[in-house]
Amino acid sequence: MSAAPYRFSLEDADDRILAGRAADGDTRAFEVLARRYGPLLRAYARRILGSNDEVDDVVQETLITAWRDLPSLNDGSVVKSWLMRIVSHKSIDRIRARKDHLDVDDVDAAQPDRLSPHAVSEATSLHEAVSQALTTLPLDQQRCWVLREVGEHSYDEIAEQMGIPASTVRGLLSRARRNLMTEMEAWR
Amino acid sequence: MTDLDNDAHDARDENDDLDGHTIDELSDYLDRGRTPLDPSIEGSPGCRIALSSLERLRQISKSLVEVDAAAEAPRNDDWLGGILESIGREARAGRDIPLLPPSPRATLSVTEGAVRGLIRAAGDRSGGLIIGRCRLDGDVTAPGTPITVSIDASVFWGERIVETVDRAREAIYSALLKHTELTIASIDITVHDVYFAQVSDQEPDDAGDGSASNEGGAL
Repeated sequence: MSAAPYRFSLEDADDRILAGRAADGDTRAFEVLARRYGPLLRAYARRILGSNDEVDDVVQETLITAWRDLPSLNDGSVVKSWLMRIVSHKSIDRIRARKDHLDVDDVDAAQPDRLSPHAVSEATSLHEAVSQALTTLPLDQQRCWVLREVGEHSYDEIAEQMGIPASTVRGLLSRARRNLMTEMEAWR
Repeated sequence: MTDLDNDAHDARDENDDLDGHTIDELSDYLDRGRTPLDPSIEGSPGCRIALSSLERLRQISKSLVEVDAAAEAPRNDDWLGGILESIGREARAGRDIPLLPPSPRATLSVTEGAVRGLIRAAGDRSGGLIIGRCRLDGDVTAPGTPITVSIDASVFWGERIVETVDRAREAIYSALLKHTELTIASIDITVHDVYFAQVSDQEPDDAGDGSASNEGGAL
């Protein structure tokens, strides 16, 4: 023990090492992972839920599920995207449970293609403009967009998770895309 | 606004400048990685402008949550602490590994989880690497069965990999010999990465302590 030329901290360890140790029951390694990705999980959950209300609960459930299922994760280096998947599922489960998602029949009828003008005129960067524009979209458009562009889920995966037809997902993404493109343009 | 902007803007509304294509088509085209190359898209100035806007939008969208996360207010530790406490109660014991000699009066065993903790502690302390996942292959519940230990590890940058791994293997072997009755056939250490550790004069911290307490408590 005296010969060790380096002292390491688990905080510096890579994901694969931490996920492997956590899978083996090392709660300290799991804690480091939870601290490393906690803010990301919270931010992702908030974007999907569309509010702050259930973020704590969803992330808590995510961590508990992650701890339980880590032994079955074969490649620890993908633990970040694996956690992101869990938190998106948990978030969608919440939304479906409280049934505040869009009534599918309304999709084509309701949403205007254009947002109100100058929704993002106060933004100080293009990034901020997109961020703000996204929050002004109807919730289901936001969700589909975030699941697609951040979570990199396929149309079919989003459809299955949200319990709506893939064609509806395609329509929501199309509207979100056009709305966001317009806002980007307006900001310049 | 420049002319380019105007073009792009109009393209969004009408599709006139997209030479018969739609934004959705262009998005699908990007999804396919622009293959096979579509000359009618690539040859259209309007489409090319829209494509670069779309790519920009995606790039920004992709980073949205990371940027949100960076601005996330720090949580108080009680919240995470509570979660960790509850998961810690269902520690992964794994199989029971008997300690010899068994007698009709008493059996003594150590859990697989505790042995893994022992392996981590011994390996980490041997210096120059950090232990990841480890597996005990073979029937550890039957005394005398040859057991293969497979270990994933990262070696610190600047260390000689062969020497480091040999040193760890020896340390783990003697720890297992000392604290368990396992018959070790081999200890296979796979180095998957070189780890850029910070050189520090501090006392061993988290990893050492965590693993050590695991070891002490269990054995």
